[in-house]
Amino acid sequence: MSAPASTAPLANKFLVAGLAGLAVTALGLLVADPHGVALSYLVAVAFWAAVAIGMLMLIMIHHITDAGWSTVIRRQFEHGVSAFKWLFVLFLPLLACIWLKPGLIWPWMDTSTVLHGTHTVGEDPLYLKKASFLNRNMFTGMTVAFFGIWIWLSARLRKASFSQDSDGAAKWTFMNRKTSAFGIPLNALALSFAAIYWMKSLEYHWFSTMYGVWFFANCMRAGMAIGVVITWWLYRRGDYKGVMNTNQLHCLTALAFAFVVFWAYVTFSQYFLIWNANVPEETFWYNIREHGDWLWVGMLLLFGHFFVPFIAWLRYRNKAELVPALRVSLWIAAIILVDLCYNVLPALKDAHDEPLPFLSLNLLWVLASVIGVGGICTWSYLKSFPTAKLIPIRDPRIVESLTHHEATAPEPGQVVEGAH
Amino acid sequence: MNQNYGIIAAFDTTPELYHACEKVRDAGYSQWDALTPFPVHGLDAAMGMRRSNVPRFSLAGGLTGFCTGMGFIAWLGLSEYPLIVGGKPMFSPMFAFPVSYELTILFTAFATIFGMFFLNQLPMHYHPVMKAPQFVRAMDDRFYIVIEANDPKFNATAIRDLLAKAGGKDIVELES
Repeated sequence: MSAPASTAPLANKFLVAGLAGLAVTALGLLVADPHGVALSYLVAVAFWAAVAIGMLMLIMIHHITDAGWSTVIRRQFEHGVSAFKWLFVLFLPLLACIWLKPGLIWPWMDTSTVLHGTHTVGEDPLYLKKASFLNRNMFTGMTVAFFGIWIWLSARLRKASFSQDSDGAAKWTFMNRKTSAFGIPLNALALSFAAIYWMKSLEYHWFSTMYGVWFFANCMRAGMAIGVVITWWLYRRGDYKGVMNTNQLHCLTALAFAFVVFWAYVTFSQYFLIWNANVPEETFWYNIREHGDWLWVGMLLLFGHFFVPFIAWLRYRNKAELVPALRVSLWIAAIILVDLCYNVLPALKDAHDEPLPFLSLNLLWVLASVIGVGGICTWSYLKSFPTAKLIPIRDPRIVESLTHHEATAPEPGQVVEGAH
Repeated sequence: MNQNYGIIAAFDTTPELYHACEKVRDAGYSQWDALTPFPVHGLDAAMGMRRSNVPRFSLAGGLTGFCTGMGFIAWLGLSEYPLIVGGKPMFSPMFAFPVSYELTILFTAFATIFGMFFLNQLPMHYHPVMKAPQFVRAMDDRFYIVIEANDPKFNATAIRDLLAKAGGKDIVELES
């Protein structure tokens, strides 16, 4: 294995792109409706947080199940979760906003916000019942706790894995297994409450027990989609030639395929139960999302988030060859962003309490924020990349992973024939 | 006309068998098989086997199951026995979905298992290889390649040469 080429120039490019994206978003605050820009920024932070949360979960599931095949890919996820500290820094403007201008993003933070032109949040019994949970102190403390959990778990997993590269001690594997045993429930709680506080509480009258699971499904799909992108990049760059084979890629995409179905199951269940029960305090959330072009966004999610990747990935070749797997993964990453927009942006209402359309200037701010936050996260990944070996070379499972079934390259012509 | 089933050659180790399979594959034979006492990873690729056609049966079964569920519920609600339940429409894909989804899984499972039996012709109560004395050791500690007489490229002399060169031992013809 030759020494990997330096990633520093690429990292700098992403840093510049990230800062430019953030600058455009900041400019948006001055020239456009700050509410729309802030929610667009929230979508972007949630999107990249989902990627990192998914990667963190994948590392821990790898350890808790003592998996073999994923050892070669796990290292890249360990670099990926280095982004949590930057995501926290990028979340600080939102935290600053709730203290400087409460009610701009989450309406319940300002009890004088008027609802339906009749009464205020402070007079709303549905808010008062939830006030011990939905208040600024809780929101701030919980958000700091989420990031604390994520940063701490990532640091433990990274330290143990990177240390094992140099001394090969088995204790690091056991440490990671223990971290995962308590880390999985902690992460599950953190991501569920994050979804509830950051997104669901935008319309705090609404409730759904599937919401945390819905966000979890998106996190896993986002983590694996970006995982395939990283795999493709490392393969094209040459690092993964002779390391990554058809079967490891097939396992990764097959797991991602399972989560296509899982996402559909959870999302359909949420819709179906609300549709079937048909009680106004739940259905209003979907009624808003059938208004204007949001109906078509919903249809896009139904077909684009489920049917398109489902049908595409039924085919073995689309899972086991890199380029088709990359195409499906990029599509999934894009549609997850649409899903987050669908959950967040209809909280923007016009004077008649109707949601502002999907196709609007807000998409520009979403795009700028996604590039902004994504540039910083990718820069963090690329900065972490040269600090450890390409694969965990002294992991007890590394040989099992490298020889995972027969080793064919994930390229056209290799997959069906199985040539060596 | 050759009345025998084919030619069998024995191999003592998995690498020998593996590389012999690659040679038989590269020589272009299509009607042949390897007999091993346990599954050998990567042997399907060394034998040049393509991926199974079972998924085609599965897909057909799944689509049939989904359409059966949707179709039955639509027929029942819209024409056979229209009944308003909970103020819901006579038919909606929403409430038909859980049932259709279950039937998708059920029919996929049936199509997969019966498609597999159809393609591999199991259960098979008799096969010429089973009465060969070598077969006992193929279930224990030895590895075999059988090239069948109905292979379009079948030529007893050429095959004996090929198998011998590939390291095959005890090369004999099998009765059909």
